[in-house]
Amino acid sequence: MKHGRSAGPSRSRDSRPPDRGGGGAGLAALLEHHRVVVCVGSGGVGKTTVAASLALAAACIGRRTIVLTIDPARRLADSLGVGPIGNTPRPVPLDGLAARPGGSLDAMMLDQKGSWDELVERHAPSPQVAARIRENPFYQQLSESFAGSQEYMAVEQLDSLVASGRWDLVVVDTPPTQHAIDFLEAPQRLLRFLDRGVVRWFVSPSGGIGWSALQVMNRTTGFLLRQLESATGLKTLGQVSNFFNEMSGLFDGFEERFQRVMGLLSDARTAFVLIASPDEQVLGQVDFLIGRMNALDMPLKGVVMNRIHDGVLGPEIEAAGDEALRAGLEAALAPLVPGSDDLVRRLLENLRAHQARARGDALRIESFRDDLGAAVPLVEVPELDGDVHDLHGLAGLRGYLLATTPPSP
Amino acid sequence: MTVGDPLAGRLIFVVGKGGVGRTTVAIATALLAARRGRQVLAVETEGAGALGTGLAALRSLHHPPDGIERVRHLVIEGQAALEEYLGLIIPIRRVLRTVFESGVYQAFVTAAPGLRELMTVGKIWYEASGREGEPGAPDVVVVDAPATGHGLQLLRMPQSAAEAFGVGLVRREALRIVGLLRDPLRTAILAVTTPEEMPVSETIEMLDTVERLHLPAPTVVVNQVHRAPCSEAEGALVERAAGVAGVGPLVTTVARLARNEARWAEAGARQICRLEQRAGRALVRLPYLFSEEFGPPEELRLTDALGSALAERARALREAG
Repeated sequence: MKHGRSAGPSRSRDSRPPDRGGGGAGLAALLEHHRVVVCVGSGGVGKTTVAASLALAAACIGRRTIVLTIDPARRLADSLGVGPIGNTPRPVPLDGLAARPGGSLDAMMLDQKGSWDELVERHAPSPQVAARIRENPFYQQLSESFAGSQEYMAVEQLDSLVASGRWDLVVVDTPPTQHAIDFLEAPQRLLRFLDRGVVRWFVSPSGGIGWSALQVMNRTTGFLLRQLESATGLKTLGQVSNFFNEMSGLFDGFEERFQRVMGLLSDARTAFVLIASPDEQVLGQVDFLIGRMNALDMPLKGVVMNRIHDGVLGPEIEAAGDEALRAGLEAALAPLVPGSDDLVRRLLENLRAHQARARGDALRIESFRDDLGAAVPLVEVPELDGDVHDLHGLAGLRGYLLATTPPSP
Repeated sequence: MTVGDPLAGRLIFVVGKGGVGRTTVAIATALLAARRGRQVLAVETEGAGALGTGLAALRSLHHPPDGIERVRHLVIEGQAALEEYLGLIIPIRRVLRTVFESGVYQAFVTAAPGLRELMTVGKIWYEASGREGEPGAPDVVVVDAPATGHGLQLLRMPQSAAEAFGVGLVRREALRIVGLLRDPLRTAILAVTTPEEMPVSETIEMLDTVERLHLPAPTVVVNQVHRAPCSEAEGALVERAAGVAGVGPLVTTVARLARNEARWAEAGARQICRLEQRAGRALVRLPYLFSEEFGPPEELRLTDALGSALAERARALREAG
């Protein structure tokens, strides 16, 4: 992505909150007309908070909405009334938020481990097999920390929330990842892993014999396995083999459900919303993400540019030089502060610092907007004081997202 | 190495979640170690990424910064490391090729839990410890750890492996690696965070995990610390000036931005307080850098800040006995 300096922030901007990005109306329409909204973005950009606020906004315009959050900060989780265990939707009260009749909000937090256990419970042929799977160390590793496991479970939960028919709109937060693209690709990686080659090798045709049968299968395989075993020790691979043997009946279901969700994700009534911040590192990944999304037939339908730094000075100050600013400030402060030189210096330094940061943000956003094109609505949200962590905070954020005036608390 | 001087070890792991400036701190750490005359190997593990780019930007400056000539860059990927390792234990090329091309090998690599992480950390161990005394061997390895799983997956893996693999070479190797990682004289962990709720919570969790794994206590680096431009009393006066009827936009803007920064500083101080309760008072603080973009000049400013903050911390620890 290019960040040409020549593009300078020519248009004057002020600190009026609504619709700084001009996409507020577009985002409102998006919430009104879709069945699924998936919030994607790399970690640290406020994705969970924006997802919750979008869900709140949808509920307030009269839609029955649920937000599936992944890893909310404690205070946000508390104010949504969700906990880490159980995958249970909880109603969020909308009192005092001027919600239209008919709208409702539920919140649910993804319980990754619990989701896997549920899945095994539901599909295992007998309680004994389910128990054996749960105790298998490889299963424990898979369900807790295998790359893509969380993403896969988010996709599984999305499927069952939509299938339940209880909600008009499901808003999904996605797991915090280094790269925003991981949410789209990790489930597929996991599926590939659970699916073909691996399972074939570890599941023996005769069922219970598993790993030891594999070792004597033929000379080449036997040789390779002995080499790999001598390098690694057998214990672990035996567990993997047992796991696949127990799970082998379940995989057809995986594939089928996964295909259904992939269909759902490329449905016309599903919208992907990118949450980003105007940092080099974040925006540097976005081109790639958008390209991949288009290739997967999951086009981006909205962008929330979050955490934009305040440094808007107004034309009068932008035009003035350091000397003029110093004189102006000294004149104002002198009657109140004796010997204000040093204070004035610090205040101006702070002003210039904010100005530089905001100018960088503006340049990066402008360049990003050029690349994005006009068809995708973009809203700008300033870096808000403190963390947004309660319903009033979310409602305030909603004002920026939908370009409406924030309600007074 | 003396306790409290993470730059003196053989292996420095820089961990932290995405967006807190982990790579920036890793580059600064590498430069500072190099400025002590040490040969540094800077490692990243998720493909060529920000670490390589950042180092290259410093190298291509018209006046490359002091120390950069002693920093080498290496990308370690699990599968490649595994293949290199298998090449050592299966020296016949033809057999090796058959292994790599076989379906069972692919399946094995995909399925064996944590094997790739183990191989990555094994390769890091080899660079940090296994080549000691060889010409061209680095004096210190700085690892920009992956952001996922709090970057601890790599540090945890050798111990899990030593437990999971009952016998064989991997177990032996894993135990040797565990030995290096647990040795506070050779290994240091820098835990990078910003003074915000989520990163601080995760850092506190990470400190607990590190303790459970008997790894050396991390040096906590708090990045992007805001500083109020004026005292509370001064702030009140500025507010009064801004409240005078007919005052121009200059004074109101200045007051707003000062208030803004003071609030950030205050919110950050609360989070730093939470960290101090867990990690003690010996935190390292790096300033929030206001700039149009983050490039080599900012990286170098941060390097200097890290250098003096670490020196100050060492002094404080010495005085505390």
